[in-house]
Amino acid sequence: MNAPAVSAGVLEVVGGLAGSPLMVGAIQHWKARLQGRRGPSPWQPYRELRRLWGKTSVDVSGTTAVYRWAPAVIAACAVAAVVIAPVAGSGPNLGFGHDFIALVGILALARFAAAASTWDVANGFSLMGASRDLTVAVFAEVALLLALAVPAVLSGTTDLAAMIAATAGGGPWSGPALPLGAVAFAVVVEAETGRQPFDNPDTHLELTMIHEGPLLEYAGRDLAYLQWAAAARHWVLLVLASELFLPHPHSAWAQLGLLPVELVLLCAGLALTETLVAKMRILLAPRLLAVAAAAAVLGVVARETGVR
Amino acid sequence: MTVVLLYAAMLGLAAGTGLSGFAGRGLRTGLALQTAGAALLAVAGFYILATGHEVGAAFTSHLTPRLGVDRQSGLFLATLGVVAAPALGYSSRYLADRRRDRAMASLTGAFVVSMTVLLCARDPVTFLASWEMMTLLPATIILIYRAADRESRSSVFYYLAITHLGGAGTWVAVLLLAKAAAFGPPGVIATGSGLQIAVALAALVGMGTKAGLVPLHSWLPRAHPIAPAPVSALMSGVMIKLAVYAMIRVFVDWLGLLPTWFGVLVLAVGAVSALGGVTYALFQHELKRLLALHSIENVGIIVLGVGACLLLRARGDSTWAGFALAAALLHTLNHAVFKSLLFLGAGSIERAAGSLQLDRLGGLLRRMPWTGAAFLIGAMSIAGLPPLNGFASEWLTLESLVHVAMSGRPADGLYGTVAMAALAATATLAVFCFVKVVGLVLLGPPRRQSVGETNEVAPAMRHAVIALAGSCVVLGVVPGLLVSRLARLAPWPMPGSTIAGLNPPGTGSLPTLAIGLLLAGVTVALVRMRGARIAAPAPTWVCGQEIVPRLQWTGAGFTKPLQLVLEVVLRPRRELEVRTESGVLTEVSYRGEVPNLIDDRVYRPVARWSLAAAAHARRLQSGSLGTYTAYLIGLVVVVLMAGRIGWLG
Repeated sequence: MNAPAVSAGVLEVVGGLAGSPLMVGAIQHWKARLQGRRGPSPWQPYRELRRLWGKTSVDVSGTTAVYRWAPAVIAACAVAAVVIAPVAGSGPNLGFGHDFIALVGILALARFAAAASTWDVANGFSLMGASRDLTVAVFAEVALLLALAVPAVLSGTTDLAAMIAATAGGGPWSGPALPLGAVAFAVVVEAETGRQPFDNPDTHLELTMIHEGPLLEYAGRDLAYLQWAAAARHWVLLVLASELFLPHPHSAWAQLGLLPVELVLLCAGLALTETLVAKMRILLAPRLLAVAAAAAVLGVVARETGVR
Repeated sequence: MTVVLLYAAMLGLAAGTGLSGFAGRGLRTGLALQTAGAALLAVAGFYILATGHEVGAAFTSHLTPRLGVDRQSGLFLATLGVVAAPALGYSSRYLADRRRDRAMASLTGAFVVSMTVLLCARDPVTFLASWEMMTLLPATIILIYRAADRESRSSVFYYLAITHLGGAGTWVAVLLLAKAAAFGPPGVIATGSGLQIAVALAALVGMGTKAGLVPLHSWLPRAHPIAPAPVSALMSGVMIKLAVYAMIRVFVDWLGLLPTWFGVLVLAVGAVSALGGVTYALFQHELKRLLALHSIENVGIIVLGVGACLLLRARGDSTWAGFALAAALLHTLNHAVFKSLLFLGAGSIERAAGSLQLDRLGGLLRRMPWTGAAFLIGAMSIAGLPPLNGFASEWLTLESLVHVAMSGRPADGLYGTVAMAALAATATLAVFCFVKVVGLVLLGPPRRQSVGETNEVAPAMRHAVIALAGSCVVLGVVPGLLVSRLARLAPWPMPGSTIAGLNPPGTGSLPTLAIGLLLAGVTVALVRMRGARIAAPAPTWVCGQEIVPRLQWTGAGFTKPLQLVLEVVLRPRRELEVRTESGVLTEVSYRGEVPNLIDDRVYRPVARWSLAAAAHARRLQSGSLGTYTAYLIGLVVVVLMAGRIGWLG
């Protein structure tokens, strides 16, 4: 294995496992600044994780293994997603492949575990969150799959590493396909990371929560797993956004070097949209995602038409 | 070896079928023999598929009975055996030693035999005869099981009427093929000829009806839920798959290269079935009916694979056409396994908890740990979650659809992405639906006092579902061993290698074993790291209230946001009645349902028009002898005139 591949592998695993909470912290930090507050430091998520790690979990009485295992399953899915999503075209195959459809399936398993745990605790607010999460997910998953299908069709394979290599350079940007896919993916990132206009990550009012809802009955290390998994989700989606849907060079070293810059830009972008955009009515969210999916379909058709 | 296995299997099934009709030890011994026969059938089927050892006659268009088995029959025989063995073993406790149950046991055996014969049929007559037996036997079992009450008679009538009206297409297709001497040998019918199109369309209608494809699906959610659990499992698990078997024979093997538009049509039918089935399942509150609607969804997914195969083949991409076929066949086997698991589990739940109404169960995972855990695995498989078997086949189907979109034509880009969107939405809706099912049935506090005192069912019933759950895991972890063999069932040459995961060209590969081990390993490690040091358990926090059954969430509440989003399409009905007495609110009653649009908009008008037409036609039947004589004379005169003019040739 050559040096860029090793570095890409190390960045993929270390960045995804250890670096992802920093992204969430940075978004919170910048968002506070944009809103004229001082806000918490970017390292705040690590402090939260340390605090939660030291606390005792409180089991909900009358629950089954589904409740106890759900946080671990969700975190395991996040680990799997991190090792499947490559950070560069030269990213090594760690034995788990780089298939984007496999990635989507693993995210679905995490969603199932979260929603099943809410039925186990039978908490109405958790169930409300899960029910809304699944409603949005029906459309978000379609949009996610179709948005990623655009670079897949461009490169002729569903292998994410090959897709990164094929979308490198300026060539793919000369047609409308990749820009349309990028528009679709931007909407998907907002939905899948639980950010405005789909969800408000800062809310602690039960009636408005989506992603926070299923977390209500968890404490201690269980909650730490869940919060880390949410951060890892940010990592996976933003890495894919920067490596597939933002311009990136052909050289492996340049891709690796540019990645942190692009991640910072994307986090700043998320902080900006959170500041500028209000949360939309949940029943309107599917329409926005349907528009994103339609843009992706258009992208694939445009590519096949050969529009330049 | 193959022949010996097959004869032993048939002997076991036939002897078991006969014996289980006798009182005393007959029922149990008979069912044990039937189970052994079905297990041998599975062994023989997989053996034939693995070794390619084909026995018996080849397909012939002559109308003389011939039997034989090739690799494709082998796969479906294996599917039949894998479902029938646990289902029949389950029956040995599910059925009691009384007249009605003995008749059902015997007829169930005959049902399995009729499906075996269909798979071994090598001539049109045997094929059509066993096809009809396969339709009629479950109808008989349902009537016996339900003691022919009014509702079941109406459902069975519905089932027979639709499967025979639509099923006429099967006869047309098979007889046209036999007439053209094309029942078997490929390439006899010219590509693009009228005959080819006629056969393909007739087969799509006829076999599509039997497979439960929208819009000819309407019998399925009526007939499947009212059968006894093992027969429901066989109907949903295998019977509708045999229609898929026939479709693949006709479309892929016998008709040669079909035009592109036909592939698109099949793709569209599959997408509509998948989406329609899962959407109506989501708003269903009875467990077995819900499972029956999911059969429509899964047949839709299988047919999406078949459509992708036809389209890719028409485009000349034979490698991916082969993988699309493998996806369809793999999903056929997978669906057979998890759907029979879920139907048998539903049967156990009905026995133990006394209800199948989702909102009247709850907390059964603690009361029935084995059945509950197996049911959970089945639910996760059907929801298409890794690392279980449903995911492997849905992954391969999605990959085929991506490769449809890649073929380089704008129209294909549209077909491929729209079909992908349909399948992705179907998969997420299935997750939504089975979260609801698992939550309402297995998790949370019991919703009725009696449900809280449920006990685990008899070992034989438990073992059947556990065996099927094991198959779900095995097929999910090492699907690659099967896929390369399934891809080689295509009548064109295919590259193939035997690996544990899925690694077709043009994909990022799905190393199912590695991903499964990673997920399991990390999960176990994290659960251990979480530690056993737990504070005393506390009740769920619901703002200080106590959780009582009346305050619990219902399935309708859980799916309400989606129902509101899809309101424009689904047109749900709701009735809200508020009664006030001298200004004081006394009673609020609410009723809501999601009516089946196809039933309302297609079947009801057709039934109305048919009845109106029948009322007009009845005027011909005056009952007086003179009128009938006049009809006869009129007919004779017309025939004589036609002969005179020369119309009769």
